[in-house]
Amino acid sequence: MKARVLVLGATGFIGQRVLDALRSCDWASPVGASRRGADVQLDATDAEQLRRAMEGVSAVVNCVLGNSRTIVDSARALFSVAGRMATPPRIVHFSSLAVYGEATGDVDESAAPVGRLSAYGAAKFETERLAGANPSIVTLRPGIVYGPGGAQWSGRIAQLLLAHRLGDLGRGGDGYCNLVLIDDVVEAVLRALRLPTTEARAFNLSLPDPPTWNEYLLRYAAALGAVPVSRITQRRLRLESTLLAPPQKIAEIIAGRLKPGLARRLPQAIPPSLVRLFRQEIRMKVGLAEQILGLRWTPLEEGLRQTALRYRPRSANSPAANSYAPH
Amino acid sequence: MIIDSYDLPDGHTLQADVCIIGAGAAGIAMALEFAGTGIEVLMLEAGGKTAESDTQALYAGSVADARLHSPPDRYRQRQLGGTTTIWGGRCMPFDGIDFEARDYVPHSGWPISREALLPYYARANPLCEAGEFAYTADEAFHRPTRPIIDGFASSHFSADTLERFSCPTDFAARYGHKLDAAQNVRTLLHANVTRLQLNAAGRSLDHLIVRNLRGKSFTVRAAQFVLATGGLEVARLLLASRDIQQQGIGNEHDAVGRYYMCHIAGTIGAIKIDKPPSSVWHGYEISDEGIYCRRRFALREATQRSLKLGNFVARLHHPRISNPDHRNAVLSLLFLAQLIIPYEYRVRLAGAGSTRLTEWLEHVRNVALGAPDAAGFAWHMLRDRKLAERKFPTIIIHSKANLYSLDFHAEQQPNPLSRVSLGAEPDALGMPRIRVDWRYTSGDVDTVSRSVALLADDFRLQRIGTFDYDPDGVEAEMTRYGAFGGHHIGTARMGDDRRSSVVNADCRIHEVGNLFIASSATFATSSQANPTLTVVAFALRLAAHLKTLLARPQPRVATTARADASHGAAAKPLQTEPVVCGDALCEHT
Repeated sequence: MKARVLVLGATGFIGQRVLDALRSCDWASPVGASRRGADVQLDATDAEQLRRAMEGVSAVVNCVLGNSRTIVDSARALFSVAGRMATPPRIVHFSSLAVYGEATGDVDESAAPVGRLSAYGAAKFETERLAGANPSIVTLRPGIVYGPGGAQWSGRIAQLLLAHRLGDLGRGGDGYCNLVLIDDVVEAVLRALRLPTTEARAFNLSLPDPPTWNEYLLRYAAALGAVPVSRITQRRLRLESTLLAPPQKIAEIIAGRLKPGLARRLPQAIPPSLVRLFRQEIRMKVGLAEQILGLRWTPLEEGLRQTALRYRPRSANSPAANSYAPH
Repeated sequence: MIIDSYDLPDGHTLQADVCIIGAGAAGIAMALEFAGTGIEVLMLEAGGKTAESDTQALYAGSVADARLHSPPDRYRQRQLGGTTTIWGGRCMPFDGIDFEARDYVPHSGWPISREALLPYYARANPLCEAGEFAYTADEAFHRPTRPIIDGFASSHFSADTLERFSCPTDFAARYGHKLDAAQNVRTLLHANVTRLQLNAAGRSLDHLIVRNLRGKSFTVRAAQFVLATGGLEVARLLLASRDIQQQGIGNEHDAVGRYYMCHIAGTIGAIKIDKPPSSVWHGYEISDEGIYCRRRFALREATQRSLKLGNFVARLHHPRISNPDHRNAVLSLLFLAQLIIPYEYRVRLAGAGSTRLTEWLEHVRNVALGAPDAAGFAWHMLRDRKLAERKFPTIIIHSKANLYSLDFHAEQQPNPLSRVSLGAEPDALGMPRIRVDWRYTSGDVDTVSRSVALLADDFRLQRIGTFDYDPDGVEAEMTRYGAFGGHHIGTARMGDDRRSSVVNADCRIHEVGNLFIASSATFATSSQANPTLTVVAFALRLAAHLKTLLARPQPRVATTARADASHGAAAKPLQTEPVVCGDALCEHT
């Protein structure tokens, strides 16, 4: 009999892809859950709704998106409902690189957070605290999840590169970009679902030798045809993140309320948190994911090729307009 | 971390595995290589984070002929970042032929080939923020790019090689945050090395004496030392440390400070191209990574060999600015703007000599008559140079009349009579000031004369246009502004023969087991190429060598307690080189 797997946050980028993968595998019978537009409609912060949805499931994948409160409340509800079940289901819980705070250098899964945590990072950290050392919970800490359909790290960055608002960031882009392709994240979920209880723990997910943000932005820009890449001055990054980002964010929220989809057509903001991330020289060590989950990483070249196919503007497929034509 | 000697107690002793003297292009490149390793590094920088006049004054010295060489405190900066704080950013590697022993270039030949440097060039390029290591138009561009002159094809000159431009990257501004963050690398500011103290046998560097301008003095001990200053200061430090070896360190055969080379450069002739202006492109192409790249005419290696010429490159250039007869508003604007252009760039731009009042007025008239052009140019310089982090590298003026001159940059031959020595006058710290006696040879005149003639012939035979110049005036043009500023080469050159060289193929002083040099001082010949990229490549190569060296078990000769208060780590034995013979370490990478 196929295992019944509940995917929370099933309409998000990761949740959708996890659901698709489970549907096409021969051992799972997945059920997608979300506020709207999924097999099951529920509010994941509501324990009673969750309890009903979790009846008879042998595993839950927690991809719930939202603000800090939603993230923490839904995790709390999930862990408590699961704890009360006769046979606690396997939970694959999504955490994040953000739990390491302002740490730099090589970090493995045992590293403690350093400095200030972002609101998102603090929420994810709290969910990990709630999970505790529960042998039924496998926590995944992906870095920058990219790939076709990834609005945040692929669509947004593509738009900024094509607008030449990002590019070569100089000293502002020396941080490491702990990239992981969505396909590899999905594979990690599939493997985590079947991991023996004795092996359940947290896993970093990232390319083992990540590029710097500068290197990544240059390669992504080249794949998108957003060349020549512009050098972005530190002055401009400061201006973008401190003066322009707040009104852009407000406009985005208003637009989102007025008409669905409108916000996506507005220029993307470059918030201060993103500028800080570009500088953060943190590299996630991923030995455990390789050894215990047996993960192999899709090379950046291939991941970028797939991603750029989705975001490369049609006009960029023709030869560059400024190329020289011999007389 | 970056610390300041002003904050340390007088008489303090600092200790490290590797001590790097000088935090310029070479020093910082090396320090970054060591960051995050288990190797304790101390980098000494004579200056502070910004230019300081009293520190800069320590560079002052004298020149034998003021017409031939700029004052020694020009074109080099005694501050964090060194001369990268003012450099122009032109990057290009040395050519294969530069490393060869050529019978027509006296004292030529290196103990290594270009291939030994290639892996490090590939990494030096991005470090200088000059993009990938791709120096031909075909390698760097995946689209057709404009030729210099449509239809020009010469068996003597290639027009397909490129020069690439750094931002120009100020290594302190760009990498200072990494130096600050590195736990195992300490950068000490206001740390002027005043003596390299050898051990009694003279085979190993025991310690350094470091002083600052507030009267404090310090001792620095390390297992390995790297002299990573510019070419002039390398000679000065080696020559001034003469208590054990009376001729100075590494100077047993009187080679330190000799063979001093810059480059032979100038602008010559009047070129009129008989083709539509659209078939001439002497400006930049921008690579996908956003790097300004420019083609130039490069004398082919086969031609150099067959005609026995030194290395040579040339570019189309605007006519001489100082003469208002060009009737060009932009050129006159530049002439008038010379008052606000830094000295290092003004010299070759505005020309030498005084200007008559009538000439000034003619320049003003040119600007007034061509005001829109001048305004457009001023806007371009403001937007693409002044306000940009990646700066438009040089002034490019397309001539609607197809009138140009030829800007050349040629190899200078090594010449033992061209030298840097110590003068009698001491600086504020008691260090003897340098005296520069730069000389060129008839071979240098010959390289430029015959190369220019070859190009003029090519233009004529291929009906490109006319290239008028005075063959008897070549020597005057190539020395009009003296030695090319800022390229200080050869004062501690690399070689296998101790009689005519100072360092071996590992950049280590022949006689001293633990003293290395990362500097253009080690270049055995000067190439046509600007030196910075190659300096950085050698620095990366040396860092790799030192890592191997330090990873090896070392004989522990002396143990000194760590007296370094700023460093809380437990005392650690000092690793010192065996005193027997430094050549035990002479393994070429």
